[in-house]
This record gives sequence, structure tokens and C-alpha cells, in this order.
Amino acid sequence: MEQRINFAENGQGAMKALFGVGGYVHKSGKLDQNLVTLIDMRVSQINGCAYCLDMHSKDLRAAGETEQRLYVLNAWREAPFYTEKERAALEWAEAVTLLKDREVPDEVYEIARAQFSEEELIDLTIAVTAINTWNRINIAFRTEPGGYVPGMFNSAAA
Amino acid sequence: MEQRIQYNEVGKDAIKAMYRLELYLAKSSIERHLLHLIKFRVSQINGCAYCLDMHSKDLRAEGETEQRLYMLDAWRESPFYTDRERAALEWAEAVTLITEGHVPDEVFEIAKAQFNEQELIDLTLAVTTINAWNRISIAFRTTPGTYQPPKLARHSGE
Repeated sequence: MEQRINFAENGQGAMKALFGVGGYVHKSGKLDQNLVTLIDMRVSQINGCAYCLDMHSKDLRAAGETEQRLYVLNAWREAPFYTEKERAALEWAEAVTLLKDREVPDEVYEIARAQFSEEELIDLTIAVTAINTWNRINIAFRTEPGGYVPGMFNSAAA
Repeated sequence: MEQRIQYNEVGKDAIKAMYRLELYLAKSSIERHLLHLIKFRVSQINGCAYCLDMHSKDLRAEGETEQRLYMLDAWRESPFYTDRERAALEWAEAVTLITEGHVPDEVFEIAKAQFNEQELIDLTLAVTTINAWNRISIAFRTTPGTYQPPKLARHSGE
């Protein structure tokens, strides 16, 4: 599938505004970066963003994540090798992404609050909405996947 | 329903990062009224009460008719929206409901006939940004109803 619009080149102003959001989560430092990237990976699975799956799998592998945990992430509920904190974050990320029945249920909120402070949960939510944004942009403009190299956006995002 | 987290107070820096997206959009290539119409439609799809209250008030303050707001849920069946608005609504719905067709080519063609590349980038950022606000407001149960639109625009005759 051919790229429709080169967002990175023609949307530099928009991209800068967006990097501000990701940069905030990073600078805020309340969340473990690998947890954020794991959430990026899971939300990209749900939305079906090829570019984002390629990018975040590479980032996770470069950070020492195992192949096994990535392959099984689609079915994390059935697997024993995600921590309670990761499970709470995954549950929250899925609920905020899918907005099933147009809400985020109380039980999901309770699970999340047991693992995250209010400040952390705000940052986690911003991170979930940010990857939802990138998924939509890359899908809408058909950004060509495959060429991502870990760290290539670090300077732009700083 | 009670508000879960007062993110305007607890998450000031996070919300500041989000407002930067709004600052970009306010100066972007998309006319303000269309921005509000798109925000209202996406909020209908996601079911965000706070956002529906806010953007309906913004639209009414700008002179939008009640009739066009009440009919917006069924805009396809209605003669009251321009071709540019219809293309924007079609694009906004496809980008919001991203897993339903992954923004099909026919929607892109319709959008391209009405918007140049820069406009389509900005329109897409508007769609993803209201998707983010919808998710934040739904996740944290922001109490709806009290929003007041800025009066400045009307008084200055904009």
C-alpha cells in the first residue's frame, strides 16, 4: 500500500505539537518507559497500525524485552508473565482505547487505581491517547512500515 | 456520575501539553467553525457528555442553528451540510472508527477533493485531538454541563 501523505515532511508543525505530548510523558518520568512502550504496542495491535507495531516492537526488543512477551501480548490475560502493574495498565489502555459501551468501567478504574497514583494514571491516560493519535495518523496516511530504527526520533521528541 | 480524578488540578502539566495541540489547531488551516462541528460529531460517536455540552455551546455561540446540530447524527441523510463539511465528517468518522475499514481509499478520495494536503493533515490532527479529549473526559468522568463559551469572538465581531 502506497503512502498517501508524507506526514513527517508535510506536517512538521502538527508533528511538533504531537511530539510535545509524548515528550511530556517522558519528561514527567512518572511511568516506566518500557511500560509506556508496551502499552504503545498493545494499543497498536488493537487499532491495527503496521508502522507502530514495527516501531514499538523494535523499541521493546532494543530495551531488552523478550520475544515471548511480545508474541503473547495479544492474549496477555491468559498469560502468567505480565506483572500486576502491567496487567492493570493493559486493562486501562484497552478500556480507554475501545470505549466499549461508551465508558471506562468502574472495575477497570479500581484495578488501575490499585496500581497507579492519580498523577500516574493521568500520565498513563495521556500516553494511551497519544498512541491512539499516532495509530490514526499512520493508518490514515498509510505511512510505510518497516524502516524504523530505535532512537531515530529521539532528537525530534526531546 | 461522580468525577474520578480532577485532572485540571492534579495533572496541570499533562493538560498543558494537550492545550498545545489546541493552540496549533486554532492557528491551523481549518476554519474554526468546521473544527467545532467535527469535534461535536466525534464526541457523538465516542459518547462524551462533557464534550457534547462544550462544543454545542461553542457552535451555538458562533451562530450555528439548532436544526443542524440536532440532525448531525444523521448528516448523510440531510441536505443542510456543504460538500466540504460532508467530506470532513466522512473523514472524521473513518479516522475515529479506525478498525472499521482502516480509512478506506474512497473516503480519502472524497477528502482529497475538498482539502489540500496541509488541510487534511490539520483536519486529522483535529480528529485525533478530540478523540484524545473524549477519552480523557470519559475515563475520568468529567462533570458535564457548566462549560461557558468565550464571549470575546462575538464581541469583536469575528
